[in-house]
Amino acid sequence: MIPMFDRQLQNRRQMLQTSAVGFGGLALNALLGGEAQAATKVEGPQAAKLPMLAARAKRIVFLFMKGGPSHVDTFDPKPLLTRDHGKPLPFDLPRVTFAKQGNLLKSPWKFKRFGESGLPVSELFPHVAQCVDDLCILRSVHGTNPAHGGALLKLHTGTDQFVRPSMGSWVVYGLGTENQNLPAFVTICPTLAHGGVNNWGSAFLPAYCQGTPIGNASLAASQATVKHIRNSRLSEDQQRRQLEFIGSLNQHHMESAGRNQALEGRLNSFELAFRMQATMPEVQDLSTESESTQRLYGIDDAVTEDFGRQCLLARRFLERDVRFVQVTHSDSEVQWDQHSNLYHGHTKNAAEVDKPIAGLLTDLKARGLLEDTLVLWGGEFGRTPTAQGNNGRDHNPHGFTMWMAGAGVKGGYAYGATDDYGYYSTVDRMHIHDLHATMLYLLGLNHERLTFQYAGRDFRLTDVAGNVAHDILV
Amino acid sequence: MVLLNSNQARRNVVVLSGLIALAVMFSGPSAFALDQPVSEVVSAADLEFFEKHVRPLLVSKCYECHSASDVNGGLRLDSLHGLRRGGDSGAVIVAKQPDHSRLIEAVRYQNRDMQMPPDGRLADAQIAVLEKWVAMGAPHPVDSTRSSNGRAPTGMSVEEGRQFWSFRPVADPDVPSVSQADWVANPIDAFVLNRLEEAGLRPASRADRRTLIRRVTLDLIGLPLTINEVEAFVADTSDDAFAQLVDRLLASPQYGVRWGRHWLDVARYADSNGLDENLAFGNAWRYRDYVMQSFNDDKQFNLFVTEQLAGDLLPDSTLEARTATGFLVLGAKVLAEPDMEKLVMDTVDEQLDTVGKAFMGMTIGCSRCHDHKFDPLTQSDYYALAAIFKSTKTFSGGNTGAIKYWNEHSFATEAEKEQLKNIDAEIAAKNKAATAFANTARTNIRTEAESKAAEYLYAATRFNAAATLRDIEAIANEFNLHARILHHCRKHLEFNHNGFFHAWHRLHEAGENGQLRTYYTALISAAMSADKSSAKAATFTSQDIEAARAAVKDASGFLAVPPKADYAFDTETLLEYFRLQEEARLVESRAMDEPSVMTVGEEKILTSLPIHIRGSHTNLGEPVARNFPAVMRSESGTSLPEDQSGRLQLAQWLTSEQHPLTARVFVNRVWTWHFGKGLVGTTENFGRLGDRPSHPQLLDWLAREFMRSGWSVKHLHRLILNSSTWQMASTTSEATAAEAEAVDPENRLLWKFRLQRLSAEQIRDSLLQVSGRLDTSIGGKSVPLRNKQFVFNHTSEDHTKYDSLRRAAFLPVIRNNLYTFFEQFDFPDPTMPTGHRNTTTVAPQTLLMMNSELVMDSADAFARKLIDQSSDNTQRITFAYQAAFGRHPTDIETQQAMAFVALLKAESFTAAGLDANDEHRAWATFCHSLFASNEFIYVK
Repeated sequence: MIPMFDRQLQNRRQMLQTSAVGFGGLALNALLGGEAQAATKVEGPQAAKLPMLAARAKRIVFLFMKGGPSHVDTFDPKPLLTRDHGKPLPFDLPRVTFAKQGNLLKSPWKFKRFGESGLPVSELFPHVAQCVDDLCILRSVHGTNPAHGGALLKLHTGTDQFVRPSMGSWVVYGLGTENQNLPAFVTICPTLAHGGVNNWGSAFLPAYCQGTPIGNASLAASQATVKHIRNSRLSEDQQRRQLEFIGSLNQHHMESAGRNQALEGRLNSFELAFRMQATMPEVQDLSTESESTQRLYGIDDAVTEDFGRQCLLARRFLERDVRFVQVTHSDSEVQWDQHSNLYHGHTKNAAEVDKPIAGLLTDLKARGLLEDTLVLWGGEFGRTPTAQGNNGRDHNPHGFTMWMAGAGVKGGYAYGATDDYGYYSTVDRMHIHDLHATMLYLLGLNHERLTFQYAGRDFRLTDVAGNVAHDILV
Repeated sequence: MVLLNSNQARRNVVVLSGLIALAVMFSGPSAFALDQPVSEVVSAADLEFFEKHVRPLLVSKCYECHSASDVNGGLRLDSLHGLRRGGDSGAVIVAKQPDHSRLIEAVRYQNRDMQMPPDGRLADAQIAVLEKWVAMGAPHPVDSTRSSNGRAPTGMSVEEGRQFWSFRPVADPDVPSVSQADWVANPIDAFVLNRLEEAGLRPASRADRRTLIRRVTLDLIGLPLTINEVEAFVADTSDDAFAQLVDRLLASPQYGVRWGRHWLDVARYADSNGLDENLAFGNAWRYRDYVMQSFNDDKQFNLFVTEQLAGDLLPDSTLEARTATGFLVLGAKVLAEPDMEKLVMDTVDEQLDTVGKAFMGMTIGCSRCHDHKFDPLTQSDYYALAAIFKSTKTFSGGNTGAIKYWNEHSFATEAEKEQLKNIDAEIAAKNKAATAFANTARTNIRTEAESKAAEYLYAATRFNAAATLRDIEAIANEFNLHARILHHCRKHLEFNHNGFFHAWHRLHEAGENGQLRTYYTALISAAMSADKSSAKAATFTSQDIEAARAAVKDASGFLAVPPKADYAFDTETLLEYFRLQEEARLVESRAMDEPSVMTVGEEKILTSLPIHIRGSHTNLGEPVARNFPAVMRSESGTSLPEDQSGRLQLAQWLTSEQHPLTARVFVNRVWTWHFGKGLVGTTENFGRLGDRPSHPQLLDWLAREFMRSGWSVKHLHRLILNSSTWQMASTTSEATAAEAEAVDPENRLLWKFRLQRLSAEQIRDSLLQVSGRLDTSIGGKSVPLRNKQFVFNHTSEDHTKYDSLRRAAFLPVIRNNLYTFFEQFDFPDPTMPTGHRNTTTVAPQTLLMMNSELVMDSADAFARKLIDQSSDNTQRITFAYQAAFGRHPTDIETQQAMAFVALLKAESFTAAGLDANDEHRAWATFCHSLFASNEFIYVK
């Protein structure tokens, strides 16, 4: 036998300290599932960090409704809009609108009050309505950009002009990761249009902060996976042997190239990669969930199956302490973007997400995860109360609704308001920067102190703005 | 606070400010109104009104953002001085004229761009208080102490700036003398050794020949050399063998591919727009090829700069020079921005930021909204430059849709134009065919649904609104209905209880579903009957008939066809529709582009541009004339032509030998690309927050030498590569290293060469080269999309392929969705200038090297080469090490490799029996391992 194969090392620490072959053995364990679940502490820049403030949330799930769901048809009822249907908007339109605006268009849906809070929800969301006492409905959100691309970038990165780190990256930068076997920030079936990768990119932040996409919006959730997570040609056993061999190659190289942090770092990366390779398929295997859980998320129904899978997968990441999970509801029709056919489009979209979202909220609550998980729901903007064509609504970044639920926010609570028709945010206005500031605050991060110096200045997610909405906090 | 100017307000402010100046000088009286003569004292009643009504309001509603603790918009409302001075946008109160006071305008919430307080309108009574107060002349007690004006201090004054190292003229330093003179091959070494000797350090010994040839080849052409070339160099003992090797490599056209790519990092080159609407830059490749050719031609760098900024304005402008200005057009733009003025100013900003960083190492973009916080650049400097770029045409005026197009210059011949017309018509026809097919299919579905309207209503009684689609499908099959329409029909009923649907709910609840069926069959039949006066119609009121007709005909009513094709069509129809769509897409993506180049032109010339207060184009301040930043202006002044944007003069100013930055910044870039770290570490920031040079004299000497040589880049290469500094080994003895690390742990003084990881392109090209798969052809279009075609429209389907075997520099650079291999191995973000790439080590890189098709396919090909080469295992292993690492294996390495291959083969025998592929599979896994190892991707 030659040296590399009979090397028997007692423990992991010794292996790492003494030998470049070490990772081979570790990866072997990982491949066999031995270390995959081990709660080893992560070291280095990615290590979990103590938050700056008392954190109420440990993790976030963002349910992103691409295209811009209409607030006046979902969570922000407007009686005057119904009354004045067909009349012109009684005040000025914004200086710039995306498309030509017609007269007021009432909502085709009725609102009913639910729960102890009695908050109104439209009949589009019968299941979410049952959870209304957990929702903190933010009715006064506003952004700046009236086009999808700009608005997506604004919502995800705080700017619609440059490529900047996404909010998930900032969170990982600020808090590190608590699970070394999985990426700290995952985004399930994200859209590649309208900003694409920039919406989960780390820009100038360190690379470990970037989001890891699981599939994309053109793939069914059941097909979504991390790229290159499996080897298509080698058996696990062969790959294990290969790793040991690469270990010996690297050891020889270290002898001639000298001690070097980068080279050692690369040995580490083999170890991490194989932990991920072992862990990811297990996380993505939804078949281990009980039938009743699958039903709760609507996986048994073709209408709700796809988004249900995404939501259930999100829960599995969350319970493994992935810091930031995004779930995107998007398809080839820009999903919620009903410039026409509002009635049909929103009916279909709501039917696809309503049950899965309610399922996720119920499940998180039942597992005690809702206490330290912040749920955020919403699109890149809302829609106009005025008509586009005869049965559509245009983009409206001037006032719209998002909601939060879970860690640290008041349940059964409505914050802020739009005007009588739902065009502009008027009371307790909450800009996207304020939303970000509040979100970071809930995670224990001070948005003014979470900075990174790049190209001569300190950057923040909230640029030079942002106020925490203290009124919504428990 | 964003405030709009009105001329009238401005006029009043001028009068007012005169009075304020007086008031401040003679601050005798205890209180006064804003416009009152100095001698007049504010009445006690007025003061009481202020203290009782106005001040509490200001305290509770405004101080949070506009007081000493926080001065948003430069506006303070907690002092008389602040109220008078106003904010960045100017005065906020015009005494006695509430209708002209921006404070009042803001609280009235009339102007969408200026609403205060931002979190909600004041009560009417509160607004009335402020209106009354302003109408009274805004009486206010005198400040007890004069506060500062609330502005943040600016970074450096122009005078201070001229003393800052990077703005001082480039010196012409003497070459220092050193004690170890035999180490000095050229002046670079003298400067480096001088610093080392001062620090008591010694340079590492010269790297061995195998290391040097691998290092220099990867450095200059980005590829490893063949075994024969390596061995020939190792055997060549002549004195100038290395210098000759450098010359050979510099003469190779592959040099331009590698070094052009470096510049493309700085130029934030990409083949698509990215940002919001990701349209293909189908002609960007012409700029890319221009850059590569310029490096191969050793184009004088000053000309290279001039062409990129003003190639279109050169007296003898050629197509090549026009192509160069693509540099200014390549930025990522928010193409669907509906506010054209904002789009133009954002684009100007992007251009200024890029020009500043690329040529001057200056973060000019920082002074768009305020004076630079650290460097001697004011907002006036910014808008003086912005005027030049606003006078430049970057967008084509032609299109009026939601998406704006960038400017291009067509050089199509008449024949080509004719041909293009036909191609465009063909694409339009293909698209139309797909749409027409879908429309027809949809109409058929619709017509059929209408003919079964009553059956839908009856079938909808068989399940409740929460039923799953699977359950509904069974029922739909039974009635031969469309399941998705039936599903929707039931939901529609859930939302609609009146009129036409009233009977459905009444009868359904009563359990009279049979009657329900009969009723709706008769009603709908009557309603849809051509003959409205028929006997059937008599049983229903005309109101019912009309309601039924309307309901059935309502395209978004209970029989609505799903808008999503996947849901509307059966499999056969859907496949045909997709086929037609794909056909149209393919015809478009393969169609000939109009021969044209991305280029700027001249716009309406603006000799001045107003300062945009807080960077907002809706809030304009004083105009500033076009000019260059004050700290770098030449003493002879700036003279810009009235009939040109001034870009040509900008380029001339930048490439003047007196300019303190252009040559310094570029020689530092070249140094960075050779050594992995610059003399100034921050390649894009030579300002106060940037690094100071590790060897200031060397930097200046190189800059001077560069200019003396006629801005020859190849001259710089020769100097650097033939220096002893560049030829040092990356390791020293343990003892020397320990000593040196104690003094200079970061190796700033250059006591050894820096171990470098290969770039994304080098790794990928090496894989293909070593395995014999690389196609080294140069130039031409490589993005598989037609110009302006969507990379992704609303779908997220990725049509871009990266399976080309050409060099990585010719793979498409798609913003928003970079090639995974690029992205993981630190290819720079192609929206911002990058002179120094990161080198990260993350787990996904490893997954890529272990599991990707690119690496495994290359390993397969490499293994086939080994097997063809020899039947002897030792020879195969030797060949593999030579090809992959440029060296022979040691005995123990050979032994281990043999054992590994044997083990894999033995394992395969037991697992699957004898197989002809086992031999190849085992060797491929061996080759794959070499590729994944550290030695393959690091250069010593």
